[in-house]
Amino acid sequence: MKPAPTLSTAFLHPAGQSLPEPLLALRKQRGTALVDMPLPTRKTENWKYSSKYLKLTDDMAISLPAEGKTGSSLAVPGYKVAFLNGVMMPEACEYPDLDGISIKSFGDLSDEEASDLADRLDSTLDNKAVQMARLNSARFEDGLLIRLKPEAVLDQPLFIVHEVTAEASGSAFPRIFVDAGRHSQITLVEEYISSGSAQVMVNTVTEFNVADGANITSIRLNMEGENVQHIGSTGVLQQRSSRFESHTVGFGGPLRRHDLQVRLEGEGAECKLNGVVVTQGTQHYDNHTTIEHVAPHCNSEETYRNIAADKSHAVFNGRIHIHQDAQKSNADMNNKNLLLSNGAEIDTKPELEIYADDVKCAHGATIGQLDEISLFYLVSRGIGRRQANVLLTMAFINELVEQIPIDAAKQTALTRLNTFFKQTFEQQ
Amino acid sequence: MLSIKNLHASVEGKEILKGINLEIKAGEVHAIMGPNGSGKSTLSQVLAGNDAFEVTEGEITLNGDNLLELETEERAREGIFLAFQYPVEIPGVSNLQFLRTAVNAMRQHKGQDEMNAAEFMKLAREVSKQVDLDPAFLKRGVNEGFSGGEKKRNEILQALLLQPKLAILDETDSGLDIDALKVVSDGVNALRAEDRAILMVTHYQRLLNHIVPDYVHVLAGGKIIKSGGRELALELEERGYGWLGIKDEETADSSAN
Repeated sequence: MKPAPTLSTAFLHPAGQSLPEPLLALRKQRGTALVDMPLPTRKTENWKYSSKYLKLTDDMAISLPAEGKTGSSLAVPGYKVAFLNGVMMPEACEYPDLDGISIKSFGDLSDEEASDLADRLDSTLDNKAVQMARLNSARFEDGLLIRLKPEAVLDQPLFIVHEVTAEASGSAFPRIFVDAGRHSQITLVEEYISSGSAQVMVNTVTEFNVADGANITSIRLNMEGENVQHIGSTGVLQQRSSRFESHTVGFGGPLRRHDLQVRLEGEGAECKLNGVVVTQGTQHYDNHTTIEHVAPHCNSEETYRNIAADKSHAVFNGRIHIHQDAQKSNADMNNKNLLLSNGAEIDTKPELEIYADDVKCAHGATIGQLDEISLFYLVSRGIGRRQANVLLTMAFINELVEQIPIDAAKQTALTRLNTFFKQTFEQQ
Repeated sequence: MLSIKNLHASVEGKEILKGINLEIKAGEVHAIMGPNGSGKSTLSQVLAGNDAFEVTEGEITLNGDNLLELETEERAREGIFLAFQYPVEIPGVSNLQFLRTAVNAMRQHKGQDEMNAAEFMKLAREVSKQVDLDPAFLKRGVNEGFSGGEKKRNEILQALLLQPKLAILDETDSGLDIDALKVVSDGVNALRAEDRAILMVTHYQRLLNHIVPDYVHVLAGGKIIKSGGRELALELEERGYGWLGIKDEETADSSAN
């Protein structure tokens, strides 16, 4: 039998040392644990449909340089943090000193702060399920720590622009930890973009520690180029009566993977997870979500839509786990998929595991094509076929796009969607 | 205006239309009546260009141009409008967006400037009132959750906005109560014009009390078996289809009426 492939040792040597000692120590310890880490294969259940897209070569092991021109001069209607190749760029960040809110680069933390953070990094994620997030823990060069004191409210959305400049092969490991105190509120927009054309990997981890009554809105726009393999993990730990709302809009690439894990640990916590994915050409995109209903009286609502054109491949795996004590849980998961071509593939798998007996749990998954009768109706009014296709495809995701609460983020998604439509339906 | 000669059409290999001949001139209103399964709706769908139906023989011209060579959207831009028997619900596309896209596609075809959102909104509100449809329906998804009557009024609203040369009304009276029938008929009558023809397809003659046709044709077994004036409809109302030698039940099981 052929031995299972393991992570090349080339990936186990973090370069940058400009972190406080406790974080360097944590990183080293995590790295040691990765020796002989098996890489996912098609026999790895949660990578079954995606392992073939993961292509890590040794020349990608090097950390991309934390310098260069940051293209993210982008004006944003709010506060801004800019990452370049996984490292925060202070000169491109714009946020004021705010009462009760601390926004800091990992590199700027005191030893005491760093030690506290080191104790809590990875605490929101189930590392067995997100193997590749462990690589981030062993390799992050920098990161962003956001702490909100109780009752603190960030008055404008915080845009976090993650840019990689792929001049040469390499990897970037951006990291974010949000510590939201009781009844605090924040809206984050994470935008992933790239320039250059060398083969690179972005391996990113975002964690939210959400205290009682806190309210988090997270928007994630994945728009990197065709040369970027993206592996993202988001962990959310929710306490009593907190709320977490997530809006993901993702565009395909050679490998796109996002694991979103939400753990409802306090009574009355609720989460709402929306996702839109579009793929074209030979692109790939894989969303894996897990919602753990640990405490009673929690609500979760999840709606994901995939659109796959040409010969592309989209994957959705939605897991809801209702623990024995989580009585009166209310969970609703819905995944609809649209195939725009005979050559496209979508794999969807709802997974429900329920150990409590007094719960309401609904799920639905469908895969279909554009409706011929609707198409005929539109063209019979003089609307061109290309435009009719665009209208119907947009109709499939409109409801979710409209719910994106920050207009600038919505417009960014719409602009990119229009490019997708143009390319997908251009022959008509 | 419209000329149909020896039209044969099939769906899934089954011949439904077996040699239709029909001439419609500008300004005229024609009614096609017939029992279920006679081919009435097939004729409407073929005229609009639904490619689920295959034309196997014959020709259709609109003002001398071969209609069969045109795609559905091209036919619409040349002035063919079909009011659907069962208007389609399209959640996620707002009625307003749908209507404006259609109107602007027409305008573009005619070399006119597109209407902006504000201009169009004003126009759409006016026309909504004309068919007694609450302008709130403009913001909903296309036909989404509309009652049968609201859907039919939305069809007439589209006809009024698009100002076609030939309006084909497929069973527009079905599912309407008396009040709604009146509103829809008023809308259709507002469409009557010197340079426009109207083709009504209906099972019952009650619509024809409100929209008085110039000619009535009886379609049975895929052919027009009798043509006449308005009085033919009244005769059918009184005597049914039986006196023409048509057994209604014979064809009633066909789904392609």
